[in-house]
Amino acid sequence: MKDKADVWQGTLALMTLKTLETMGPLHGYGIARRIEQTSGDLLSVNYGTLYPALLKLEQEGYIASEWGVSDNNRKAKYYRLTPAGRKQLEKEARAWERTTGIIARFFAPEEEPS
Amino acid sequence: MNGQLRAWGLRLSGMFDRERRDQELAEELQSHLALHVEDNLRAGMTPAEARRDALIKLGGVESIKEQVRDRRGIPLLEHLLKDLRFGARMLRKDPSFTVIAVLTLALGIGANTAIFSVVNAVLLRPLPFPQAERLVLVWATDAEGGRTEDVATYPDFEDWKASSRSFEGMAAFTTRGMTLLGGDQAETVEAVQATPGLFETLRVRPALGRTFRSEESAAQIAILSDSSWKRRFAGRPDIIGQTIRADETTYTIVGVMPPDFKFSPGSPEQLYVPLVRDPSRSHGFLRVVGRLRPDISVPAAQAEMGIITRGLEKQYPKTNAGVGVNIVPLVTAMVGNARKVLLIFLGVVAIVLVIACINVASLMSARSAARQRELTVRAALGAGRRRLVQQLLTESSLLALAGGALGLLLASWGTRLLVALLAKSFPIPRLENTHIDGWVLGFTLVLSLATGFLFGSVLAVPAASPDLNEVLRESSRTATGGVGGRRARSLLVIAEVSLALILLAGAGLLLKSLLVLRSTAPGFKTENLLTVNFQMPKDKFSNATARSTFYEDVLAQVGALPGVRSAALVADLPMNGGSDSLGFHIPGRPDPTPGDTFSANFNIASPGYFRTMAIPVRAGREFSQQDSASAPGAIVINETAARTFWPDRNPIGQQIVLPVTSDKTVTLTVVGVTGDVRQQGLGSAPQPEIFLSYTQPGPDWPWLVLVVRTARDPVMLADAIRKTAQSIDRDVPVYLVRTMDEVLSHTLAQPRVYTLLLGFFAALALALAAVGLYGVVSYTVTQRMHEMGIRMALGAERGDVVRLVLRQGLSLTLAGTAIGLAGALAMTQFLTKTIPGLQPGEPITLSAVAALLIGVALVASYLPARRGAQVDPVVTLRYE
Repeated sequence: MKDKADVWQGTLALMTLKTLETMGPLHGYGIARRIEQTSGDLLSVNYGTLYPALLKLEQEGYIASEWGVSDNNRKAKYYRLTPAGRKQLEKEARAWERTTGIIARFFAPEEEPS
Repeated sequence: MNGQLRAWGLRLSGMFDRERRDQELAEELQSHLALHVEDNLRAGMTPAEARRDALIKLGGVESIKEQVRDRRGIPLLEHLLKDLRFGARMLRKDPSFTVIAVLTLALGIGANTAIFSVVNAVLLRPLPFPQAERLVLVWATDAEGGRTEDVATYPDFEDWKASSRSFEGMAAFTTRGMTLLGGDQAETVEAVQATPGLFETLRVRPALGRTFRSEESAAQIAILSDSSWKRRFAGRPDIIGQTIRADETTYTIVGVMPPDFKFSPGSPEQLYVPLVRDPSRSHGFLRVVGRLRPDISVPAAQAEMGIITRGLEKQYPKTNAGVGVNIVPLVTAMVGNARKVLLIFLGVVAIVLVIACINVASLMSARSAARQRELTVRAALGAGRRRLVQQLLTESSLLALAGGALGLLLASWGTRLLVALLAKSFPIPRLENTHIDGWVLGFTLVLSLATGFLFGSVLAVPAASPDLNEVLRESSRTATGGVGGRRARSLLVIAEVSLALILLAGAGLLLKSLLVLRSTAPGFKTENLLTVNFQMPKDKFSNATARSTFYEDVLAQVGALPGVRSAALVADLPMNGGSDSLGFHIPGRPDPTPGDTFSANFNIASPGYFRTMAIPVRAGREFSQQDSASAPGAIVINETAARTFWPDRNPIGQQIVLPVTSDKTVTLTVVGVTGDVRQQGLGSAPQPEIFLSYTQPGPDWPWLVLVVRTARDPVMLADAIRKTAQSIDRDVPVYLVRTMDEVLSHTLAQPRVYTLLLGFFAALALALAAVGLYGVVSYTVTQRMHEMGIRMALGAERGDVVRLVLRQGLSLTLAGTAIGLAGALAMTQFLTKTIPGLQPGEPITLSAVAALLIGVALVASYLPARRGAQVDPVVTLRYE
């Protein structure tokens, strides 16, 4: 149960970092929408789980936050990627590629039954 | 990794300033919803739909807040702080419980801390040498004599040293008293004779000068201890090259050891001289100290030495058959017997602590029964089981820590008392170093926490998993007396009663032995009797005439002192344990077994010895001036000897033949029979004793002890006697002037100290067990108040109610006693085996102890029983 949540938290953190890299500074709602759009309906029912994840990333120094004003003049807390966060994202992305690569090879049809 | 660390730091600070952060989160979520609603409106939803959709997609706001809060701080720590605050509040609310529990724990923990601080100083602290853990003592063993710690011979030591690879260094030494001459006064000091390399093996450098060189094994050089340098030479810096006369030999001083240097068990060494090689392989007199190589363990060294000694056995079958080695860490060897005693007491205080724990556990259990509803309600409201256990354990740890702190206070005071007491029993090395240091503090802390956990978990686990339905349905009155809780508390009381019985049995055994010892008549009058030891320089007094002259003078001059009734000499004082067992023949009678002889303890006395000691003469006469060197040899025997050797006839006039040297015998005639004296100490039965007269030729004797019967307090005369002896010969040191009462009380000191200590701890255990029993019985009475009211309303007498309650207390006690008996028997057997000189345990002592326990238990249950019987039935019934 806990492991699954950890995996989910980890995935969510990676998606958040990637989103901030692509989109620039963004508020919580914006990040949630963006993740929902990109991932289909993965986050559709529970935007709320994003907030503990954001706090965790901020505590780890990968993102920073400040209050700002949205396009339509609404006060919102904006998150942006820090240099440490950028580095972390690269690292995580590489690890992710490696993992998926390995998994993919397992699931690929065997080419030469020698 | 860095990020992780940073996160923990932030989370730690996140525990503060909660309100502002909560506020900010609420605003953030608010803005989230507003943005979402706007989007939804733009997508064409009605305002109600838009808001509803946004709320659903966000999820439970409270749950998010909770998750963020958990992530923000450190929940475990926050809970702990909250529990601590809550626990402290609960303890404050019930001060009588808290005081009793803390006091009980303080007694238990304090006793352990006190004993541990002694154990720490004596057993655990390393010796003051570099890498002292690698220092060992290599004992010889003797399979034939059954000895495991025997002295080694010089050639064996040389072979061990030459053949072994396990040691970096090895040296041998022996200690003996040496007489320092010259200066104001002759004095006897503890001297070490050592092979070269001793100080190098210990890795100790002299404070001044140098140590022995390897070629100096026969040189007349000496090294002083710091204290003898300061005392005898006033700490002169030009001491190197000076000479000192000891035992008639002049030594050149080559070095001075640093202060506090001491390595042999026994009294502090004052002088170090080279050890002269003794080529005999049958004369063992050496202790061997070795330094193991860094990578060699004691068993490995033991294995290697085993091979070497087996080789020696083959090579020298005559002298070395059955001779092995036994390697012991030096610290263990130094501590010797004290180790066993200290460990016994550590075990004893551990039992006391367990009893204290049980007591507090049952107190808490009674209280937590009262809190069962609180716990149940909290569980019903969703508190997790783990959370409840954590809460209860925090509370018990809080109690235990308070108990530990108070216990430390008790211990810091008790330790001084303990050290003073133990110092009286027998010399324990390093005892004076006992104090409360970091190790002791750590021990107390760990012990307190473990204690809190122990008694906390006994009740936390069942209490935290209440059967909700069961408890909530029970009426408030009966909810507190669950069957499970009652059974648990009964078991706890039974356990502590049986543990207390074990300690009581041990204390009873010691007390019995002490009483037997004290009531034993020594066989002579100890009042107003002074004993004075001389040590005769060997060379000066090598012939018997010189000694006789000296002794004659001493007897004459001391005897003439005012206040002296009579004075006499003896070789072995009663109760000093010394004795010379010799074999002899009885003319006209075959030896008991072919090739063997009769044997008895031989002692030497001057005329007037028996009169001076007030030992009754049963038949014949004691020695007198008529037993001169030329008169026929006379002996005086004790009653046991008379019974043993001449059971069927008058021993007066009977003769024995005593071999003096290998080709010379003397024939001796019994001239008197005296009463038995406890020569070997009060604890051992009289043995056959035969006295020779010191004025007649016989076996060689080293020196004699002067005994003086005085008219008044002998201490007043001690100085006059010392001066008189000094005026006769300045080179004869007088030492150990003691009254016979001192000698007697010294022999009783050790059993007295043990009895006092164990008795104290047993009494503590008994008191704690009584409090525990009282608590449980009194709790049941409170619970059954209503029932008793009904019983009395229906016609029960007060006596019936008292009996009802007493029966409960008594049945618990009897169960505990029955279980404890087995343990008590084991305890007494263990003690008789480990502490020498104890009377064997017997049923009477054990029954007396059990009766005491039951008596105390009856009182402890009678008090609450009476309270139960004074219930006014009308009041209890109306209360319903």
